[in-house]
Amino acid sequence: MDLSACDVLVVGGGGAGLRAAIAVAETHPNLRVAVISKVYPMRSHTVSAEGGAAAVIKPGDSLEEHAYDTISGGDWLCDQDAVEAFVREAPAEMLRLEHWGCPWNREPDGSIAVRPFGGMKAQRTWFAADKTGFHMLHTLFQTTLKYDVIQRYDEFFVTKLLVDEGRCQGVVAIELGTGKIHAITAKAVILCTGGCGKVFPFTTNANIKNGDGMALAYRAGAPLKDMEFVQYHPTGLPFTGILITEAARSEGGWLLNKDGYRYLQDYDLGKPEPRPVLRSMELGPRDRLSQAFVKEQEKGRTLEGPYGHYVHLDLRHLGEKLIDKKLPFVRELCLKYVGIDPVKEMIPVRPVVHYMMGGVSTDIDGATPLPGLYAAGEVACVSINGANRLGSNSLPECLVFGARAGKVAAAFAAELKAPSPSVLTQAHDEERRLEEKFRRGRGAKERIATLRAEMHETMEESAGIYRNGPALQKAADKLRSLQERFRHLTLDDHSYTFNTEQTAALELSYMLDVAETIVQSALQRTESRGSHQRTDYPERDDKNFLGHALAYRAEDGPPRIEWVPVTITRWPPGQRVYGR
Amino acid sequence: MNLTLRVWRQKNAHARGRFVTYEARNVSPDMSFLEMLDVVNEELIGREQEPIAFEHDCREGICGACGFMINGIAHGPKRGTTVCQLHLRTFRDGDHLTLEPWRAKAFPVIKDLVVDRGAFDRIIQAGGFISAPAGAAPDANAILVPKEDVELAFDAAACIGCGACVAACPNASAMLFTAAKVSHLGLLPQGQPERNDRVRNMVAAMDREMFGGCTNMGECQAVCPKEITIAFIARLNHDLLAASFKGRKPPRTAASP
Ligand SMILES: Cc1cc2nc3c(=O)[nH]c(=O)nc-3n(C[C@H](O)[C@H](O)[C@H](O)COP(=O)(O)OP(=O)(O)OC[C@H]3O[C@@H](n4cnc5c(N)ncnc54)[C@H](O)[C@@H]3O)c2cc1C
Ligand code: FES
Repeated sequence: MDLSACDVLVVGGGGAGLRAAIAVAETHPNLRVAVISKVYPMRSHTVSAEGGAAAVIKPGDSLEEHAYDTISGGDWLCDQDAVEAFVREAPAEMLRLEHWGCPWNREPDGSIAVRPFGGMKAQRTWFAADKTGFHMLHTLFQTTLKYDVIQRYDEFFVTKLLVDEGRCQGVVAIELGTGKIHAITAKAVILCTGGCGKVFPFTTNANIKNGDGMALAYRAGAPLKDMEFVQYHPTGLPFTGILITEAARSEGGWLLNKDGYRYLQDYDLGKPEPRPVLRSMELGPRDRLSQAFVKEQEKGRTLEGPYGHYVHLDLRHLGEKLIDKKLPFVRELCLKYVGIDPVKEMIPVRPVVHYMMGGVSTDIDGATPLPGLYAAGEVACVSINGANRLGSNSLPECLVFGARAGKVAAAFAAELKAPSPSVLTQAHDEERRLEEKFRRGRGAKERIATLRAEMHETMEESAGIYRNGPALQKAADKLRSLQERFRHLTLDDHSYTFNTEQTAALELSYMLDVAETIVQSALQRTESRGSHQRTDYPERDDKNFLGHALAYRAEDGPPRIEWVPVTITRWPPGQRVYGR
Repeated sequence: MNLTLRVWRQKNAHARGRFVTYEARNVSPDMSFLEMLDVVNEELIGREQEPIAFEHDCREGICGACGFMINGIAHGPKRGTTVCQLHLRTFRDGDHLTLEPWRAKAFPVIKDLVVDRGAFDRIIQAGGFISAPAGAAPDANAILVPKEDVELAFDAAACIGCGACVAACPNASAMLFTAAKVSHLGLLPQGQPERNDRVRNMVAAMDREMFGGCTNMGECQAVCPKEITIAFIARLNHDLLAASFKGRKPPRTAASP
């Protein structure tokens, strides 16, 4: 086993992770920072965010309005102190990125250009064509390269958090290129590992989004918060799940059912106008749009293709010029993946799993209840997203809370002495576990592909857009048995270099943990709120459920759920009103 | 459809590699090239053989992870696409395809079709960032940037760092990559203060990494999945010439906050 040490260890090289690393290097230049990532940082999933990042910048807009849109969009489950910090710090973060070289789109007068986005009452979404995440990530990556104190462990896969004396003191990771096992000790660890879309079969998320960090924290004893809230994006391509960005609707795209009718007008989302209207129709929030799709399907008004039901996203009336200027990537994706030219044809779309509102529970500085452990970005639940995230809030969330977590973790690490020696015993145990379980393990009979397929089926059937008690209970039981069967997994690839079967097995084990917390939290939240809709409990119930579900790992059995109240500062729970 | 694949197999950086032939049977023309490799790999795993290692992540042509040579062409025969965006309908039933990793001294093979592209990072490290202080309290106002400049900067910034340009170049030169990075920052006002040092330091880093020199063959732009043109190389050469007449500041190492 290889040993190394640093002061602050960032797990994840996406938007949140790189921003956190820079914050440490900026505020405490004497600390050694390490960024560990299972893929090259520039391949992190942030790279595929298209639409944009929200921050108040234009005259006439206000922080209060951004906060209100976020809180009502989240169906009052957001912690309002966190939202206030978020909207206040987002503009400075976006400007900082510009100073580091991010090419934000411009108005003809040279000022920052913004576009409308779903659920937002003012135009405040900054963008870099439709490759916003790509440009943000490249800017952050290039900026990390100027700090010599930031060391990178690229293509290292973290398998365990080392916890001793009640605090997190490092990780164990596999170096994918050689198969070597490393123990990396640290005074503070920041998890920035992104989401867990791959728990579901149809998702816009890439293969690397398996909830690794959520499972790592959960196994170390930290709770996962609000895991029942899974966002479906209303416009994914059937079959591949590739996302057609919301920007397509903010530029004026229409959603049409099989009769060519803008069906959203039937779901209390406003009246159809030829031009886009903020917080109305196609610019409503994602949960409501995805729910409307299911209702249309029940009424038999969707279309049916080889890959299931779908509706149409119509951009034709926008014209070739606008599409090429503002949505070039949408045209590229449609041409390359479905052979459709959106200038001339309508795009088939359906809701697909997109984003995880829940995650590792943190306070507004990114600190988890486990000392020395921090989290930021999609892996964390602060929570600013509540029961439904607004599009374009999560990229700035990565910046604001990445920076906050970085600063606070650095201050924590600066005060501490070296890690306790006994963590290394733990690291050796982990090495043994990995060797035994994932390198030998012949003779058993369960296969990764089978278990994964059964998990996907279970999640799709029970934890989709609409849920009910009996289906969730059945799913909870099924996931228990999948956990059991996982113990009898067999692996055929015993090589040390880029053993993709081994990583797939580890990822599956993470996903099974995460899936259990989703199902258990959904089962116990007997109300409907935001993206969590229970057909057996169709109403929002503020009396009993204006609170966050915290899922803790239990020794043998499903996760244990505890409840904590939502923080309300200025906006008492109200009605969510769109299009009126 | 059926395809015959001759694939470069190499256990690790030190091992000797060789071509091994595989058959991809009954694959659908609608599949992407990487999905076809997934199918081949599933079969290999089923037969208790090691799957073919190749890099991929987003599978939407944006992350820059994927890339290898197909019949001698980086990212395969279709223009302006990465391997992950290539579909089997581009090929004919019964085709024989040779798959090889990028071949360049600066990109050592790690395993099968996977190469180490760390040299690209080191070029950026030599100056591909803005260190003009923006740290603690950025200006309340954004910098005004002419719209056309941003648009040209976008074209340069579109580089995904896949390495196809190097693989296609008979000299294994990294000029298109470096030119794209230099131009992106050089076109924006915030990139001006360090413009001269940047181009000098990045070109020096490129030489250190043992990339070849550019002799204007233009093979790079033909394979670039983002269709970045060699016009940016002209821009780099222009900047480099201008910089060599200007005073030289000591190269930056660590940044001061
Ligand atoms: C297609 C798509 C479009 C989107 N568009 C938008 C948009 O327009 N606006 C917006 O605001 N949001 C958007 N989002 C959401 C947003 O992009 C993500 O929530 C955000 O980028 C997540 O960033 P992150 O830094 O938290 O994680 P990621 O970027 O996912 O990075 C995770 C990092 O963790 C590392 N990692 C994970 N597990 C391990 C492990 N076990 N060991 C080591 N390293 C590990 C990975 O290597 C990676 O570096 C979009 C999301 C998708 C999928
Ligand atoms: S896999 Fe991301 S560009 Fe091909």
